[in-house]
Amino acid sequence: MNRFLVVLKYELKEYFTNKVFMGLTIALALFGAAALFLPRFVDMSGFTGVKTVGGADDADEDQGEKDIFLYVDQVGAVRAEILQEMFPEVLWQAAEDADALQKAVESQEAAAGFLVTGKTEYEYFVFNKSMTDHNAAMFEQAMKLFYRMDYCRERDLDLEEISLMYDVPITVTEQILNKDSGSNYWYCYLLVIIVFMLIVYYGQMIAVSVTNEKSNRAIEVLVTSTSPNSLLFGKVIAGAIAGVFQMGVLLGVILLAYQVNREQWGGMLDMFLHIPGEVLAAFAFFGLGGYLFYAFLYGAMGALVSKTEDVSKSVSGLMVVIMLVYFFSLLQLNNVDGEVIKVLSFLPVSSYSTMFARIAMGTVAAWEIVVSFLILVLSIAGTGLLGAKLYRMGTLRYGNPIKLGAALKDIRKSN
Amino acid sequence: MKLEVKGIRKSFGGKEVLHGIDLHVENGRALGLLGRNGAGKTTTIRILMDVFHADSGEILLDGRKFVPAKHRIGYLPEERGLYPKRKVIDQMVYLACLRGMGAIEARESARKWLARLEVAEYETRKLETLSKGNQQKVQLAATLVSNPEIVILDEPFSGLDPVNSQILKEVVNELIAEDRLVIFSSHQMSYVEEFCDEIAIINQGEVVLDGRLKEIKKEYGSNRLVLAAENCSLEELADRVKREWAELAVVADRKREFLILELIEGVDRRMLMAALAGSDVEVERFGSYEPSLNDIFVKKVGEEE
Repeated sequence: MNRFLVVLKYELKEYFTNKVFMGLTIALALFGAAALFLPRFVDMSGFTGVKTVGGADDADEDQGEKDIFLYVDQVGAVRAEILQEMFPEVLWQAAEDADALQKAVESQEAAAGFLVTGKTEYEYFVFNKSMTDHNAAMFEQAMKLFYRMDYCRERDLDLEEISLMYDVPITVTEQILNKDSGSNYWYCYLLVIIVFMLIVYYGQMIAVSVTNEKSNRAIEVLVTSTSPNSLLFGKVIAGAIAGVFQMGVLLGVILLAYQVNREQWGGMLDMFLHIPGEVLAAFAFFGLGGYLFYAFLYGAMGALVSKTEDVSKSVSGLMVVIMLVYFFSLLQLNNVDGEVIKVLSFLPVSSYSTMFARIAMGTVAAWEIVVSFLILVLSIAGTGLLGAKLYRMGTLRYGNPIKLGAALKDIRKSN
Repeated sequence: MKLEVKGIRKSFGGKEVLHGIDLHVENGRALGLLGRNGAGKTTTIRILMDVFHADSGEILLDGRKFVPAKHRIGYLPEERGLYPKRKVIDQMVYLACLRGMGAIEARESARKWLARLEVAEYETRKLETLSKGNQQKVQLAATLVSNPEIVILDEPFSGLDPVNSQILKEVVNELIAEDRLVIFSSHQMSYVEEFCDEIAIINQGEVVLDGRLKEIKKEYGSNRLVLAAENCSLEELADRVKREWAELAVVADRKREFLILELIEGVDRRMLMAALAGSDVEVERFGSYEPSLNDIFVKKVGEEE
């Protein structure tokens, strides 16, 4: 235990005195926090729907900055005041004729132009149509309204009464008795991606760190100084702590910054960042467990090669498993109570994301969580011990990468 | 403290490379392992250090099974290596702590050894920024940092210049004087001759010669004499031995400054001395021959092949 702590301390010091590691952690956290504080200093009401910078006095000044939309009404159908109400963000102006309208749009003096040629016909002019351009659809709604108004007026009908009949408001109060998948889905998705990134990024770092000890020949001094268990466990757990620290700082700062600025964002990021405590706890236990499980395997894979350029080849099989689990997990988020995800949630290779998803979005019994977590913990211990044996076995085997099958065979033989 | 290696056998890929190695050494003495490349020295050392497991045989310390992890051992492997991107002092303290020292004691010891090996000014530098020779000295300091009771050095002089070799020689002598048990392998016979009371020559996985160096030298030098003359060359002298004293001695070897004669069975040195006295040869050098370790090594390994 004592030697394990020596290794752990030494490896942790390596991470925490690494300027790139600490600099990146601080920079990313500051960047995330700054982005979430943005609505306090910059008017993002167009995006968030919440006016946070400046007051009512700015409204008149903003008039001059509004986009100009032109229209030409050849049939007398358009009601300018209704258009202005429906498109409050733009300034509506009537153009002299179709040519003037087209020229103004071409010269980009006007952002858009509408040539109304009939009560149910119009042409839309725009210089560059963006992917999110909904002006035509909106104008179509306006045209329909004008048509209905004319229709009702000609027949002496009450448009308001008819509209109310068609669009009768219904009051609904949802009583969600267990989980709300709709609101939990996105942060679940986000957290699964975070664990996946942690595993791949830090796993690779751990594997490279183990291989480095072989490539710089320090490994013979190390394995004759202490047990391989202390060495591998210390190294892997230090990597895990460093990863959790970096991700914890990042996630903590972002969640806190969002909580502080939630009102300014109008709650629009709730689906990602308003995560309930029990979901975060499940994420911490299963995410960390899965991360450790794979970190030991990465460490063992690193011991099978003696050159850092061979590490990616050595871990490629592991990567395939991780990728498959990742895609299966994301696909199964739509069906968290299905049989496939139930099975996956008990396997140590996939429980880190699937059991967590079931807890966040589905129905899961307490015993299932306990059993799954126990399997994960035992598997971590198993992979740790196996990893240490592979690490020890690979100590002086330089040269070509050792195949996992051959390595396991050698371990069986030496036992 | 007595370390014994008994009947160690080891195979790699079905081929036996050690065929029953037997060695022994006590504290306050140094055992020199000699052998050509691939003879089995490093494999023997690695089995001692539990890097490899022997197929059979045993290693005992004071009659009990030797478990390296239970002792403070300073091991300098043949494949040198530390962390190139980490500070010298940090990795020395780390290695000392791994071998059971407390952090404060480890830092003091690291500073002491860096100073002793004349590399104290590099303690806060990254290892990769040091010259090869200084890296080698740091490696040696890291070997000794835990104040080991047993010191095992595999080819410690390889890569050292004469000045650094001298420092290392002094350090090894100090370790022996401090009653440590020292084992080291080397190709450089002069160093082994200088430090070692005991030697073991390993050839093709077998100990072909072992024992106390003085006795081995005596045994290899018995019945042999050196002879040089003032008034004739070595060639003429060898010719006269062949012609005039063939019933007394034969020329066994010719060195740059003298001949080595081997007495015929039943002849003693007084008879040869009398024959020389009765001749016109003006004897410049006459006496017992003490072979160098190099001579013994070449002779022994040559005989085996």
